[in-house]
Amino acid sequence: MRTPQVPPQPTDAELDRYILTRYALLGIDISVLPESDPEAPMDQERLLANGRSILRQDVVAADFEIDPQFHLPTPHPAPFVAWTAESDR
Amino acid sequence: MSGPLDRHVSRRWFLDRMAWVSAAAAGQAVLPTGAGATTPRRRAWVADLPTPAVQQQDLTELTLAETVALVRDGRLDPEALIDAHVDRIERYDHAYQAYADRADRETLKAFARTTPADGVDAALRGVCIAPKDNFYTSDMLTEGGSLVYEGFQPDYDATVVATMRAAGALVIGKAQMGNLAGGRARVYGTTTPTTRNAWTPDDVRYSPAGSSSGTGTAVAARLAVAGLGTQTGGSVLGPGNAQGLTCMKPTFGRVSLHGVIPLSHTRDHVGSMARNALDAAILLQVIAHPDPLDPRTMGLPPNPDYVRAATPHPGANPAVRWPTRVGIWPGWAEGRDAALRSDFLDWLQSAGNVHFVGEVTPPDQWDELTSSPLGGSHGDPTAFFIEHLRRDVRLFAERLPRFLNGMLQSADTYVKVQQARLLLLHRMQEQLFNQCDVVLVDGTGAFDGTGLPAMCMPIGLGRDDETGAEVPRGVTLAALPFGEERLFAVAAAYQAVTQHHTRRPPDPTV
Repeated sequence: MRTPQVPPQPTDAELDRYILTRYALLGIDISVLPESDPEAPMDQERLLANGRSILRQDVVAADFEIDPQFHLPTPHPAPFVAWTAESDR
Repeated sequence: MSGPLDRHVSRRWFLDRMAWVSAAAAGQAVLPTGAGATTPRRRAWVADLPTPAVQQQDLTELTLAETVALVRDGRLDPEALIDAHVDRIERYDHAYQAYADRADRETLKAFARTTPADGVDAALRGVCIAPKDNFYTSDMLTEGGSLVYEGFQPDYDATVVATMRAAGALVIGKAQMGNLAGGRARVYGTTTPTTRNAWTPDDVRYSPAGSSSGTGTAVAARLAVAGLGTQTGGSVLGPGNAQGLTCMKPTFGRVSLHGVIPLSHTRDHVGSMARNALDAAILLQVIAHPDPLDPRTMGLPPNPDYVRAATPHPGANPAVRWPTRVGIWPGWAEGRDAALRSDFLDWLQSAGNVHFVGEVTPPDQWDELTSSPLGGSHGDPTAFFIEHLRRDVRLFAERLPRFLNGMLQSADTYVKVQQARLLLLHRMQEQLFNQCDVVLVDGTGAFDGTGLPAMCMPIGLGRDDETGAEVPRGVTLAALPFGEERLFAVAAAYQAVTQHHTRRPPDPTV
């Protein structure tokens, strides 16, 4: 049986293809943006760079361990204090 | 119950709620069916407000509290207030560019005539309010500072707008804002700024801050008495500090978001923007109530008396109303505003009922829990905007990445972010607010993400390096969930002995 290996990290070009595929899947066309124009409000180059950053941040999040037995996913933590009497902690 | 609410979100209340849940399961309980059904809105404070000693010649200089008191006493006609504000807007808003849309004078007067002079719901009668342009208004456009909503005319009012109008407030206009609640206000779809900072009306370079830019400018420039902003990442307190205002971003859930263009359903807050703590408290007192149309507001502890909290407490110096430990974030006393902050700390250390604890120690893993990705909300807006993204991504201009990120952030990261929020809240409760009740900070991201209350107020003027202009400097204070009273009490005590909040910016020269 093969031992699992850590796959090589995807390249920028591979991530760009992933990003464009994801947009296309949902019917979103970013080709209407200029390819690269720092003077424009937005261009494809900046958009893809941002997308790559978001994807790579998934690794940071995955590496951060939080015990789900003590810290449930909570979209609204502050009201949770009242709903669970957390201020008595 | 005595003392502020932050330390008393009680076990008894929790048990009461559980009893209600049990009764509901048995088909016995009756849900609150209307705004304020579980939290009767207090009107006693209207009667308690002191009558201003001196009648202002310029009615736009009246504070909200003074306006309410004078109208209450029959010494001021709401139509005169309308004329004063509309006159000023017509004279100067071409320079400020604070408003995206405005009500006309006669419509406002007709509305004012429908508000009973002595009704319990007339608390804000005659008060000219400037909500940000992401609050739905049935009689004015709601464009969110964006091409996405260009020409959008809602057919109903946001809950907070309806609440203010029911209290007699006059929505004098819709204030310009950053594109879909990000950055300073700009010409839609471009990088060209519009709204000026009220302190530099002749110089577009100095930012009014965002995204509640227009509301901040309208209130500071006396084009409105007070305003409503929204904050997902500093968008109320940023313009507040940039323009010498006193603003409150309350605990998440305190104010309904129904009828507000969403950015993040987990982090958006409605905040009151005003000229002093008492005004901000009055506005919050009116708009904070349970709203069945926004379940996030339901089941919270009853609203306390914010107006009382923001009324200076008699005593030496005068004292902060409740014994309060105040800390500062590491490094807070240093930097650009060190001299002003030093003066502020001098006051803190001399104020009655304040125990200054110095620099606090940040909770464990603070940086990891408050920075991207764990401290962010990247995935939140996408789902609400798919149809517009398909229509044309150019409508989003510089904000496009924020609205596409939800397609790329994985579900496991989204869940981890929500876990991190609760972990961060626990750490703040156990490792930050064990050291203090109020903390002075520079950024509010951690407090926006966890939904904790935060407030700002001016502490003096400083010189902007780029323009050379003299502009306001402020401080930001934060507290535990439901700690608004603490914040109001500290601000009110400070403003009782200082005049920074009364400074008026110069008029435009063109």
